[in-house]
Amino acid sequence: MILLGPAARKGSSIRVKGHGAVVKVKVVLMSMLLAGTVFAQGSAPAPIAPPSAGGAPMPGTADVNVKQRPMLTPEEMVNQAREYAKSMNEVLKRIQTLQDQAKRDKDIIRLNCVTDKVVQVRVNISIAEQSMASLQEANIRNDDGERTHEFTRLTIVNQKVQVLGAEAENCIGEDLSFVGATRVEVEIDPNIPQYDPTQPPAPGIDIERPGEASGML
Amino acid sequence: MNRRLALFTALAATAIARGALAQQGGQGEVTIGYQGLPYKSSGETNTGIQVSEGVLLHVGAGAEAGYDSNVFYSESGSEVGSPLIRVGLFGDMSNATRTGAVGRLLFDVRAGVTYRRYQSDNANVQNFSNAWLPTAGLALSSGGGQFGFGLADTFARLEDPPYAESSPFPITRYNNQASVEGRWSPGGGRITATLRYTNMIDIFQDAYEYASTDGNYLMLDGAWRWLPKTAVFLNAQQGYIFYLNDAQATLNNKTSSFPLVVTTGLRGLLTEKTSAILALGYTNGFYSGGVSTSGIWGSTFAELSFTLRPTALSRVVAGYRHDFQNQVISSFSYNETAYASYVQQIAGRLALDLSGRYVHRNYGGQFVDVNQQNRNDNFIQAGASLDYFARNWIYVGVAYSVMSNSSNITTVEYLKQQMFVRLGITY
Repeated sequence: MILLGPAARKGSSIRVKGHGAVVKVKVVLMSMLLAGTVFAQGSAPAPIAPPSAGGAPMPGTADVNVKQRPMLTPEEMVNQAREYAKSMNEVLKRIQTLQDQAKRDKDIIRLNCVTDKVVQVRVNISIAEQSMASLQEANIRNDDGERTHEFTRLTIVNQKVQVLGAEAENCIGEDLSFVGATRVEVEIDPNIPQYDPTQPPAPGIDIERPGEASGML
Repeated sequence: MNRRLALFTALAATAIARGALAQQGGQGEVTIGYQGLPYKSSGETNTGIQVSEGVLLHVGAGAEAGYDSNVFYSESGSEVGSPLIRVGLFGDMSNATRTGAVGRLLFDVRAGVTYRRYQSDNANVQNFSNAWLPTAGLALSSGGGQFGFGLADTFARLEDPPYAESSPFPITRYNNQASVEGRWSPGGGRITATLRYTNMIDIFQDAYEYASTDGNYLMLDGAWRWLPKTAVFLNAQQGYIFYLNDAQATLNNKTSSFPLVVTTGLRGLLTEKTSAILALGYTNGFYSGGVSTSGIWGSTFAELSFTLRPTALSRVVAGYRHDFQNQVISSFSYNETAYASYVQQIAGRLALDLSGRYVHRNYGGQFVDVNQQNRNDNFIQAGASLDYFARNWIYVGVAYSVMSNSSNITTVEYLKQQMFVRLGITY
């Protein structure tokens, strides 16, 4: 089973300071391995979808048309919208956790980055809440066009929130850019004496044998 | 390796009176002339007894056997030679560890004694055959910060046969020197001020008893380092020397004095291997009675000294100094001193020390013996020693020293040579 999106990130939210590249390599390798496994399962049966406005694509050509109508029933749309809302709130909670962690670490660089994502996620969640309300009203009115529009909007907002969540996870902080406290390494030529030659001379004893004062001494 | 060099350049406790000291500011004393027995083995050789946490004890003993060509420092044709032996013991305790000193407070206590014996059939020599020469030293210092202090005391006793064979008394001299100093280095140590008080008690017995003095010196030194180990300085020292036995001093024309020396110059490294002392200044004896130092040259203090360390195992010192000095046989003498020293370690086992100095003494002031007015001496002293350390705690060596005095008064001329083989242990 492949977890994608916030749930996957949450389950594998291992932040290894200083080893980001290694983790990334591992994730890429894991993805390639799993992708290979998925492809090895053969192509999935094509979903049964209502005919699009442009008609069925010609064999051998790619279908690049945007589906104008979702394959979901109104109830399923509402349920999916609630899943989106729940997922977006989890993303917000996760980013707030990252924000608190950056505050604790006094990592101003990362804090600024994460805070920016929090603000954007909140705006998008606010938009999603409005769309949710509009979706429910469209259901009551049985307005299929409005319902589809709001659901599409919710889907897009959800995707944006997921992207912001991923970006917040990848905010680079001082742990990568901060190279540590300034350390001064001084190399002293071993030829330079260790004593301090600028000190005044030590008082010395001159206790020589005194000169001969007379022949009788 | 510097510690090894220090081993042979430090004041030898067991032969403290044998060499003259040429002051090398901040670089330790350079012993000129005969080098005494090594008093402590090298720090690199992991010797010393760990008495307790942070206290290391070095002990040792050595013996020398040799010949003295002129026991009584007699003029040519009257020399009396004699075999002699010297045996020395010493102990040295400090808070240095085997890998070096620890802590900011350093102490070093040292004591030693040397027994000297002339082994001669000559009756006059036998009168002075035995002598005990104890020495002791204490040093306590703290530094490295903005404030520092130092406390030191050294004691030595010298006993030597007299100039006259018929004299019943040896020349005996007790010398104790104590000093205390405080250092202040504000602003990261670029400027350092040092205030030091030194007291030196010099006591003679018997024939020279009149010359016993108490010297007191107050020194203020200010140094400005424009490079980490090079400084210009201004130094002023005022002394007060008085005689302990007024009656005898007066009888021998000795008067108290207030010697003043004010110098300025440079101390420190010229290159990473060469250090120097360049000093020039004013000096005056200010003798309270009679004639004092005078004249432009007589009032000038000049010193020029270079120390070169071409390798980690060798050191060369050369210098010149002009000053005046209190004298026993007159008020003072103007001195022109030139000295040189060469120390070399070979293969970590052999230690070679060559040194010598020449002093021209022009005696002045009031004379004890009026017949010696206008006396001028040319004194030469040289020494050589070669020690082989079979292990880091046992050595065997040979040594030679020569002292020569020529004068315009022929009766005080002499040539004295000593040669030794020696064996000792240090740990």
